[in-house]
Amino acid sequence: MIEREVTVTNRAGLHTRPASMIVRKASQFRSEFFIQKDGYEINGKSIIGVMTLAAEHGATLILQFDGEDEIEAADALALLFEDGFGEEK
Amino acid sequence: MISTNLISSALERGIAVSPGIAIGPAFLFAKVSFDVEKISIDSKVLKNELSRFEDAVRRAERDLNKIISITREKLGEHSATIFEAQLLMLRDQSLYPEVVDLIEKSSVNAGYAVQTVMTKHRRLMEASDSEYLRERANDLLDIQERIIRHLRRGRILSAVDENSIVISENLTAADIILFSRKGILGCVTDFGGPTSHVSIMARALHVPAIVSTHGITNVVKPGDLIILDGIKGEVLVNPDEATLAHYVSKQERYSRLVQEDKTLVPLPAETLDGHHVGLQANLELREELVQLAEYGAEGIGLYRTEMALLMEGRALVTETEQFTHYLEVVEAARPNTTTFRILDLGGDKMLPMGNREHNPFLGWRGIRIMLDKMELLVPNLRAMLRASAFGPVRILLPMVSSIREVRSFREIMQNTMLDLKAEGIDFDPNVPMGVMVEVPSVALAADQFARETDFFSIGTNDLTQYVLAVDRGNDLVAHLYDEMHPAVLQLIQMTTTAAKAAGIPVSLCGELATNLRAVPVLLGLGVDTFSASPIYLPGIKRVIRAMKMSEGQALAKKALIASDPAEFRAVMDKWLDEHACGVSFFLEGKQTA
Repeated sequence: MIEREVTVTNRAGLHTRPASMIVRKASQFRSEFFIQKDGYEINGKSIIGVMTLAAEHGATLILQFDGEDEIEAADALALLFEDGFGEEK
Repeated sequence: MISTNLISSALERGIAVSPGIAIGPAFLFAKVSFDVEKISIDSKVLKNELSRFEDAVRRAERDLNKIISITREKLGEHSATIFEAQLLMLRDQSLYPEVVDLIEKSSVNAGYAVQTVMTKHRRLMEASDSEYLRERANDLLDIQERIIRHLRRGRILSAVDENSIVISENLTAADIILFSRKGILGCVTDFGGPTSHVSIMARALHVPAIVSTHGITNVVKPGDLIILDGIKGEVLVNPDEATLAHYVSKQERYSRLVQEDKTLVPLPAETLDGHHVGLQANLELREELVQLAEYGAEGIGLYRTEMALLMEGRALVTETEQFTHYLEVVEAARPNTTTFRILDLGGDKMLPMGNREHNPFLGWRGIRIMLDKMELLVPNLRAMLRASAFGPVRILLPMVSSIREVRSFREIMQNTMLDLKAEGIDFDPNVPMGVMVEVPSVALAADQFARETDFFSIGTNDLTQYVLAVDRGNDLVAHLYDEMHPAVLQLIQMTTTAAKAAGIPVSLCGELATNLRAVPVLLGLGVDTFSASPIYLPGIKRVIRAMKMSEGQALAKKALIASDPAEFRAVMDKWLDEHACGVSFFLEGKQTA
């Protein structure tokens, strides 16, 4: 199991489009994927879950991966956050 | 056609939101009633129930994939986002397994399980503090209904006949996109307004539509012959032969007119004696930008910025998001001007800000809210100013009633410009700032306003309601609402006279611009530019090209002193009939008084 800390860098926060991107990306990996925010944990492969986070610009999240491809998954997801989902930062 | 003795004719009125005339059989599109019955399933056939669920999900996926591809093609990537999210929700890891679990463990029918699980999650979202999440609860409801519809009736969409008119209590944007692909003739709904998403989609997809009929679903039976008059806003159920013949010919005339209108698009909006008139578009969503070229608009006379905000939820509409949006608008309108109106909230467009007013139309709305809420105004204004670096932009203030508001705003704008400059962000330092003329005080003191602003935009809907003290949504007094009342016209004239003296332009962006009989009078009163939903622009242009300015001036003189509005209307109708042949039937729908 590995963890990564990420920050929401895009100005608009985790609205519908980024949330879809996270879920689609995470679903390409076998590892289980959870996101924690302020002591609250959701399944990162669930769009409803990711939306419920309502994470705004600047929020810090902990990404947690568990499974055979956890490193690849962690790298891929962290990259999405770094890129700000291709949106303006 | 149906021929039983039980046929009953009826006439239903609603709001015409997408013009055109459709004649065909009714298809009743039923929204699922909220309670799906709970049925115990024998454990031997539970497997069957599970595969019914999987099957319904698969069909819903097919629907959504189709919706996504049509939306991308017709309306752009941005609009497809919401449906892509819905697609993911169908197999969401916290929904799908929960439904399966409930079916298996409690031995219940799939429909009940779907309803139970979805409702639980929806309630959680609805209870959220975030406007955005509450809004997303609707997406969950959409997919819940979609799955249940498939569970109940199998292949629902194939049941929508190509040549039918869809009658429903309510439709989603997704519904109308799919229906348009199926080649339906039109749609009528009990709910919705002219600026609801479904109405905007209907216009963009050229599907004649009427909304807000308040009970059409109780009147119409499947297969009833329907005439949908999307010009007048009327639905005729099982009309007699003569009425039918009348509408068949009206339909022909209308489609001929639409064809002819296309040839008008590249021609200038010029009177016979050579006066050029500006024709611009009223828009509010990115989806509508394609219509600028389609209908030959010379820029945007009114871009309502509150719509995107109300649809996407307040929390998310940051300055950057607004800027990205406005940039797209400016780029689509270039080299023509885009007029952005500052967020016009309040009245009937309320954000949940906790205030309940007894008389919202005389209350906290438009610029009044914005001057009190810097956290709303500043990002809105900054986004507009930033967009002005990329093409001509004008900024318009809604619901102004006093010159002090103009001065306060000007000061805020100047400070905002200083901030942008300090941050090294580009903008047009000479961006014109104008006011809506919708509160009578602005028209009455137009001289003063003309000295301190760069343009006027007359909003006739509110101006009329305030001058005549009539709420046209109130059936008891709606007959008193008359946008061509001499008092309204006088205020328009005061506005144009003051503007001429100060050398600033005047446009008119209210519904009155789409009332073709008013066009010559308004030109005669000195209006320079009309701004309307793009779809109406060719009709306005047709009238302009058939008249002389001197005729407009003569008609305006008469209109200002017309003691009997009905009589004057008849004069105008006759004039139009003689001059701008073919448009007369547009007038039938505009009997405002």
